Amino acid sequence: MEETIKNIKTSVTGMTCAACANSLETFLSELDGVDSVKINYADQSANISFRKDLISEDVLNDAASKIGYGLILGTAQKQVEQTEYIEEERLNTLKKKLIIALTLTTPIFVISMILNNSIAYANEISLVLSIPVLFYSGNEFFINAYKRIRHGQMNMDTLVALSTGIAFLYSLFNTVYPEFLISRGLEPHVYFESAVVIISLILLGRYLEERAKSKTSSSIKNLIKLQPSVVTIFRNGEETEVPVEEVITGDLVIIKPGGRIPVDGKIKKGETYVDESMITGEPIPVFKTKKDQVFTGTINGNGTLRVLATGVGNDTLLSQIIEMVRNAQAEKPKVQKIADKIASVFVPVVILIAIFSAAIWYFVGPQPELTHAVSVLVTVLIIACPCALGLATPTALMAGIGNGAEQGILIRNADSLESLQKSNILVLDKTGTITEGKPRLKEIIWAGNVPEEDKVYYKNVFLSIEKESEHPLGKAIISGFLKDLKNPEVFEIENSQNVPGKGMVADCKGSKYVIGNLKMMDDHDAFTNDPIIKAKHIEYERRAGTKVYMAKGQEVLCFAVIEDMVKPGVKETIKQLRKEGIEAEMLTGDNEVTAKAVAREVGIEHYKANLLPSDKGKTIKELQSRNFKVAMAGDGINDAEALALADTGIAMGTGTDIAIDSAGIILMKGDLSKVLQAVKLSRNASKTIKQNLFWAFIYNIIAIPIAAGVLYPFTGWLLSPMIAGAAMAFSSVSVVLNSLFLRNKR
Amino acid sequence: MESIKFKTNINCGNCIKSVTPHLNDLDDVDFWKVDTDNPDKVLEVTFDDEANEEEVIKAVEKAGFNIEKI
Repeated sequence: MEETIKNIKTSVTGMTCAACANSLETFLSELDGVDSVKINYADQSANISFRKDLISEDVLNDAASKIGYGLILGTAQKQVEQTEYIEEERLNTLKKKLIIALTLTTPIFVISMILNNSIAYANEISLVLSIPVLFYSGNEFFINAYKRIRHGQMNMDTLVALSTGIAFLYSLFNTVYPEFLISRGLEPHVYFESAVVIISLILLGRYLEERAKSKTSSSIKNLIKLQPSVVTIFRNGEETEVPVEEVITGDLVIIKPGGRIPVDGKIKKGETYVDESMITGEPIPVFKTKKDQVFTGTINGNGTLRVLATGVGNDTLLSQIIEMVRNAQAEKPKVQKIADKIASVFVPVVILIAIFSAAIWYFVGPQPELTHAVSVLVTVLIIACPCALGLATPTALMAGIGNGAEQGILIRNADSLESLQKSNILVLDKTGTITEGKPRLKEIIWAGNVPEEDKVYYKNVFLSIEKESEHPLGKAIISGFLKDLKNPEVFEIENSQNVPGKGMVADCKGSKYVIGNLKMMDDHDAFTNDPIIKAKHIEYERRAGTKVYMAKGQEVLCFAVIEDMVKPGVKETIKQLRKEGIEAEMLTGDNEVTAKAVAREVGIEHYKANLLPSDKGKTIKELQSRNFKVAMAGDGINDAEALALADTGIAMGTGTDIAIDSAGIILMKGDLSKVLQAVKLSRNASKTIKQNLFWAFIYNIIAIPIAAGVLYPFTGWLLSPMIAGAAMAFSSVSVVLNSLFLRNKR
Repeated sequence: MESIKFKTNINCGNCIKSVTPHLNDLDDVDFWKVDTDNPDKVLEVTFDDEANEEEVIKAVEKAGFNIEKI
């Protein structure tokens, strides 16, 4: 059994001396199924060969970890490549099958429909050409049908396998032994073209659908990209660069300004603003200093940090999110296709009709009874399968996808387009979905004693000092003032001093100004008794937004309100959705006050605040368990799991890659009001699919009685290939035309 | 800022790797370095403020090495 032996070379973690290597080597080689183990202490690697049928890499790793070592098996990146490779192979095989089917079907079709089987050896040629179409290109129909029937289930594959299989066998018999029917006064028809056209068209449909489907794995790839590959660590008093895999828990990692944080950890030294929006969804960078937690994938602001790694590799929050998204994608139940549902009823009915007609022919039909009965049984089964069945769903989806694209709605998989119309709850993330995700200067509240004519001057002072600021909100204030002031003037600023996490002090034109939060005002004994400021201050405590105060000396002049504004049109959209029977619910990691204020502003009744990323997923599951059909719209990494779990995931095109990849529908400009159009489109598409299925089946259903012999008393026909051919052509054309209508429907 | 030196048996690069998490975990240690070329394998620890030699000895012993103050 040569091929069951597998050789792997992996890195080993946790070995600190040559004795470790010995102990691990002995331990592993005693395991069942392990052939040989060579541990190399110098480069910390292991060469293991083992029998695949007795033991696996994971078991080896578990064993090693029991005595304190670890094997670094295939990295996440490699696993992603592996799944992508498999998917690509699948699509390639399908393409090959389709090409062979189409190439061989064309001559069979020409011989039968155009040359009318009048050339020499027509049947024999068709027979030879159709064998690869049925048994290579179409093999999966037979395999799937067999697997299903063993469990007593029937679907589209059953119908296809049954019809084409019987058509082939019947035609084979009539080709090899035509005398049998001729001698009994019947014409030995062949139905090779029906069989191969059905298979070709359905394969074409499958290929189109498969190609339109998204690659589920790319989202995970994007998450992995967030982890930097090389990391600077501080070991034994020296800075060294090592690959990220080699960083261990307890290492001191150095993070430069603007760099991505490569590990989960605790800040040991330094202070900075960290952009955690990819984890929390909140747009404003958070001030962090010694002993604060930082997370992998977030972006360091302007400070240099030394971080004590507490979570590396698979133990980081980011890895956990990757794992959650992966599980969510794997767990998601496949929507049962409507074509399969129809087939599961249609197939037994057709079989009953076939048996029933055959019985009538046998008991009350003309001579020869048995031949007629068998012939009817077979032809009913052959005619039942509509060729256009395979085209019904994919053509509608492609038309729907095309229609969506013109409206800025990108639909990435078929299931989403089908499932969206069933939604009765739309779960919304707040930041970046309902709101713009960017803080903006909303207004300035002035103390009553600041004269109107001085306000412009103070605004310019505010602007000038903010220009020296390192605070993330500074940018919002600056661009707000630049828009607000007609002629912005930048004054010279002296002695400016940043107090991270609080604000700044600076001199301008001989006066000292303090800008920052309330703590900063306290620190500088700035106060106000101004009734307007006090009243407004209380009012704003209950509203969304951040307040930035400015004091001249010890007197507060004003405060600026900075807010992440709601996108235009959201309120209207939510109202419209409610009319359409879809209720909105908001989930946010933000605090209760902001959540409540935003929910009220856009007219959402249900909301949850202070949520962790995993809570969003839980909420989706809970809603689903209460039998709601859930659509989820979001934009951040923290929404990714929820997007993958929801029946329909809708991502903002302005959001993070991972959210976009976890969702089936993407609103290109992040315009939430497009949800409404998406719902309409989904409804139209699903209607078109149903109509298509109707058109696909109707001609064949009409032809079934003819096959059963209703016309025999008048014309002497059982089933002529002409009828089979007409049903084939009409249904395919109707389906394609009907799908084209959807293309332009708004 | 205060520095203390210790004599240890922290021999090689991998020993340093295993002692790293334990020393890095100490909150008030600013800087540390082992001179493996020195026969006494001297560990030098600099503290943020006041020295806390007990803490260092505990940490290094926990990592499985011998340590004594010089």
